[in-house]
Amino acid sequence: MANFYETGPAKPVTESVRVDKVTPGARARHNIRAAAVILFAIIGLIPIFIMVVTAFKTRADVVAVPPKVLFQPTLEGFVFLLTERVVLPPAALAEKKQSLEQLDWMERVAMASGQTITGPSDYVRRLWNSVIIAGISTLISVFLGLLAAYAFSRFPIAGKDDLLFFILSTRMLPAVVVTIPLFLMYRQFGLHDTHLGMILLYTAFNLSLAVWLLKGFIDEIPKEYEEAALVDGYSRMQAFRKIVIPQAATGIAATTVFSVIFAWNEYAFALMLTSEEARTAPPSIATMLGRGGIEWSAIAAGSLGFLIPVVIVTFILRKYLLRGVTFGAIRQ
Amino acid sequence: MATIELRNIEKRFGETYAVKPFSLTIQHGEFVALLGPSGCGKTTTLRMISGLETVSGGTIHLDGANITWQKPGYRNMAFVFQFYALYPHISVRENIAFPLKAEGMAKSDVYKRVDEVVSILRIENLLNMRPGKLSGGDKQRVALARALVRKPAAFLMDEPLGALDAEYRESMRAEIKRLHLSTNATTVYVTHDQVEAMAMADRIVVMSAAEVQQVGTPADVYHAPANLFVARFIGSPGMNLLAGPRRGEKVELPGTGNIYTIPAPQREVLQAATPEGKNVIVGFRPEAAMLNEQGALTGEVYATDMLGAYKLLHVSFDSDTVVHIRCDRMVSHPIGARVRFDLDPQQVRFFDATTEKAIGPTQSAGTAPISVQAANAQEKAA
Amino acid sequence: MTSSAQANVSSPVRAEKPQRKQMSDMTIRNLFIAPTLLLLIAMNVFPLFYSLYLSFTNYSAIARKAPVWVGIENYVNILTDPQMWQYFNTTGKYTLLTVSLQVVLGFALAMLVKEKFAGSGIVTTLILIPMMLSPVVVGLFWKYMYNPSWGYLNWLMGFTNPSVAPDWLASSWARKSVPGLALFAVVFVDVWMWTPFVMLLVLSGLKAIPDYLYEAAAIDRASSWFQFWRITVPQVAPLLMIAILFRTIEALKSFDLVMGMTGGGPGDQTEVIAVNLYRKAFLGQWQTGEASALAYIVLIIIIAISNLYVRYLNRLREG
Repeated sequence: MANFYETGPAKPVTESVRVDKVTPGARARHNIRAAAVILFAIIGLIPIFIMVVTAFKTRADVVAVPPKVLFQPTLEGFVFLLTERVVLPPAALAEKKQSLEQLDWMERVAMASGQTITGPSDYVRRLWNSVIIAGISTLISVFLGLLAAYAFSRFPIAGKDDLLFFILSTRMLPAVVVTIPLFLMYRQFGLHDTHLGMILLYTAFNLSLAVWLLKGFIDEIPKEYEEAALVDGYSRMQAFRKIVIPQAATGIAATTVFSVIFAWNEYAFALMLTSEEARTAPPSIATMLGRGGIEWSAIAAGSLGFLIPVVIVTFILRKYLLRGVTFGAIRQ
Repeated sequence: MATIELRNIEKRFGETYAVKPFSLTIQHGEFVALLGPSGCGKTTTLRMISGLETVSGGTIHLDGANITWQKPGYRNMAFVFQFYALYPHISVRENIAFPLKAEGMAKSDVYKRVDEVVSILRIENLLNMRPGKLSGGDKQRVALARALVRKPAAFLMDEPLGALDAEYRESMRAEIKRLHLSTNATTVYVTHDQVEAMAMADRIVVMSAAEVQQVGTPADVYHAPANLFVARFIGSPGMNLLAGPRRGEKVELPGTGNIYTIPAPQREVLQAATPEGKNVIVGFRPEAAMLNEQGALTGEVYATDMLGAYKLLHVSFDSDTVVHIRCDRMVSHPIGARVRFDLDPQQVRFFDATTEKAIGPTQSAGTAPISVQAANAQEKAA
Repeated sequence: MTSSAQANVSSPVRAEKPQRKQMSDMTIRNLFIAPTLLLLIAMNVFPLFYSLYLSFTNYSAIARKAPVWVGIENYVNILTDPQMWQYFNTTGKYTLLTVSLQVVLGFALAMLVKEKFAGSGIVTTLILIPMMLSPVVVGLFWKYMYNPSWGYLNWLMGFTNPSVAPDWLASSWARKSVPGLALFAVVFVDVWMWTPFVMLLVLSGLKAIPDYLYEAAAIDRASSWFQFWRITVPQVAPLLMIAILFRTIEALKSFDLVMGMTGGGPGDQTEVIAVNLYRKAFLGQWQTGEASALAYIVLIIIIAISNLYVRYLNRLREG
C-alpha cells in the first residue's frame, strides 16, 4: 500500500471518518487498540470467571494443587451454603441410598459427601435479612428522597447549596465515625441488632444518594409541564403525582436499583451494628471462613448472590452508571 | 495559485447519499459559497475538500495534483470552524502561532508572522488572553488569524458566523470579505444563510437533499434559478410560483380571470417545452410585480407586512394560492381589497411543472458560462 | 361522589365545588424536606456531635462507668503514639498507591475504549463490573485467589512449587518475609476493583471533548503529544479531579476490602486507619472515647483533603 495517497483505500469509505484515519497505519493502530481493550477486559474478568467456576466445584477440587481447570461440576457449594448438615454413620447412609428416588436434589448432593440435611443454614436467614433490610430501606429512602429532591428542584430554599452539600457529605463520612455513637444510641433504644435499626440506618445511608440522583432527574423535567397543570386548576400535589412522578419514572427506577445494590453490598455497618438477629449476608459470608473449616466453594456460591444481580444491573443501567456512582454529580 | 477541482466526488453512508456525485472547479482567488438547508450535504462537501471527511468516490485536485487521500494537515488549506476550535489552554498568541510552530518554522519568524496577521485583524489587544475569556466575534477573529497565518492556498470556512450574535455577524461578514479581497485566496464558504452567500460569494453552489441544485453567481441564483427549489430557497420571501395550464401563448393561473400572457421572447421556448394544455409554472419575485389598475392579474389583499423601506402585500388568488408583492410603503390597502398588477416581462421565469426545472436560461444576463455539471449515474459508470 | 356532583365537575362554575383547602407551596416544600433532614440529623448530625463529646472522654462502651471528661488526652495519646503514625503512614501509602495507579490505568483504558469498535459497548460494560461488586466479597474472593497453595494467581503466574512461590497476604516469598507484599496485594485488588470507576469518569470527559478541537489539530499538523497534553488532558481534568476526589476519600476510609482479605495482617502490615478504628471501638478494649477521637482525626483529614481538591477543581474550571 505504498501508493495509498494516490489510490486511496481498496473499498469505498461509507462511514464518517477523517482521511488520516483510513491510512493502513491508522487502521492497524485501530485494530491493535481494539485487541488491547479486549485483552484488558479478559484479564479483568478472569477473577470473576474463577469465582463462578469455583462455586460449582467440590470441596476437594477447590483446594486441589495445582488448581483444577477441568472438573466435575457440582452444586455442593450451594447446598453447603444454604443448609446445616450432619455426617451420617455408614449404616444409615447405606439405608438412605435405598430410597434415593424420594430425596430432593439437595439431599442427594449432601449425601454424596455422606451427610444429611438437618435444616436451613444461618445464611438463609441472613440472606432473608438482607432482602428485607435492603428492600424496605430502599423503598423508604427513594420515597423520602423523591419528596426532598422535588422540593430542592422546584422551590426556593434558603442555603440550598449548603443543604445539598450537607446531604452529600453524610455519604462521605467513614462508616466507623458514625457507627460508634450509633452503636451507643442503638443500645440505649434497643435498636442494636434489629431490623428496624438497620432499616433506619440504610435509609439514611441511601437517602443522600436518592436525593442527589432524583434531583438530577427532576431537574431535567421542564417546569412548564407542572405550570401548565397548575394553570389548568390542578393543585401542586396533583401536579407532583400526575406529572412529575410519571416523568421521573426512569430516574426513580434507576435510583431504586442503585440503592438496593448499595444496601445489598454494605458490610461495615452491618458488621458493627448487628450480631445475630438482623445480621445481613455480607458480614456472614466473611465469618464463614472461621467456622467448621474453610468452605471456599460455599463462599464462592455465596459470592454469586452478589455477582449475578450486579452483572444484570450493570448492563441494564449502563446509561445511568456514571450518575449512580457519582451521586448524580456527573450526568452524561 | 490555488485551483480546487472536484471530480465526481460523492459521500455515501452505507447506501444513503450524503452528497451525490458532482463536479466543480473553483478558480484561483474565487469566493465560492456552499449554500443550502441543514442536512443538504454542504458541510460534508467542505469537509471532504479539507480531508476531515473521506470521499466515497471521485477525486479532489489542488492545482492539478490529486490530494484526495492526502492528510488534512498536508493539503495547504486552512479550515475555520463554526465553533472556532481554539485550543482552550494556550494563549491567543500561541493559538495563532501554533500552525507555524508545527511546521517547524524558526521562532523569530513565527512571531513576526503572527504580528502581521494580528495587525490585519486588529486583535493586538487579545494576544495574551486565553480563548475562554473572549467574545464570540473575537474568538472567530482569532480563528481567522490562525487560518491566515499559514498563508494557505485556500480557506475553507464552515459557517464561521453561525455561532455569532446578530450584532457581530454583519461586521464579521464585512471583515471576512475584506480579508478575501486583500489576500485573494481561494475561499470555500459554507452557510445556510442566503443573505451571507449573496453578499459575499463570487459564486454560489446551492445544495439540497445531497444534490447540487445550481451553481451560479448571486445574480444567477436570484434572477434565474435553475429549479423550483432554488427559486423558493433564495430570496426572502422566495419567488412566487404559480401553476396553470398553457393554452397558446397564455397561461391560466389560479383565481378567476387570471390569464397571463407569455412575453414574446419566451413564447417559442415555452411552446416547445410544454405541451398545449399542460401545466407550466410561472415564477416572479415580489419586486417584479407592479400594481396597476389595469393589470392582467388580480387577487385579494390577505395581509400586509410593513417592512420599513417597503411594504409586502400578501395577495390571495384563491384559497391555496397566495403571492407576495412588494409595493411602496406609502400605499395603503385594506385587507380584503382587490388589487390588480402586471409582471415585469424581464423578470418572469418559467418552470416545467413535472421536472421542476427552469425553462430557458439559468444565467442572468451578462454572466460568463460556468463549468459545472451534475454528473449523473450513467456518466459515472462510463 | 353522587352523580349530580360528578356532573358538576364539567360545569364552569368551579367555585361552587366545596374546595378542599390546598396546601401552599411553602407548606409542601417544608413537608417534603423535613423527613429527609430529620432523619439525616438523627442518624448523622447528632451522632457526630455525640462522638465529638465522647472523643473528650475516657468512655468505654462495655464498662459500666459513666464517661469522664479527659480533655484532649485522647487526641494527644493518638498523635504521640508511633504505632498510630505507622497506621496513618500505611493508610497514606495505600491511598497514594491505589489512587495513582487507578488514575494512570483508568486514563489509559479510557483512551483505549474512546474510539468505538465492533463490540466496544459490551466490552466497556464488562470492564465496569468489578466496581459494582461488594468489596468484602471481592476481598474474600481474592483471598482465595492469593492462596499460596491452591490459589489461581500463583498458578497463572507460573509458580508451581508453593515453597518458592510468594505467599502474598502473608508477606512472604519462598518462606522469606517480604514486608509490604501484603499491602501491595491489597492495593492490587483495590486497583482491580476501582480502575473501572476512573475509566468511566474519564471516558465521559473524553466523549465530551468536541471533535472540532482534534480536527483543528489535524489541520494544524499538531503532534499526538500536543493533542494529548494541550487538548485531552486539560479538557478531562475537571472530571479526572472528581474521580480522584471520590477515590481518595474512599481509599482513606477503606475498610471492607482490607477486612475481607487480611483483617489488618500479617501483624499490622495492612492495618489501615479504618481497620484500626474498628478494632479500637469494637474489639478487645472497647476504647470508645479514644476511637471517637481517632474517628474525628480521620474526618478532619478527609474534610481537609476534599477542600483542597474542591478549590483546585474550581481553579481548573475557571481557567
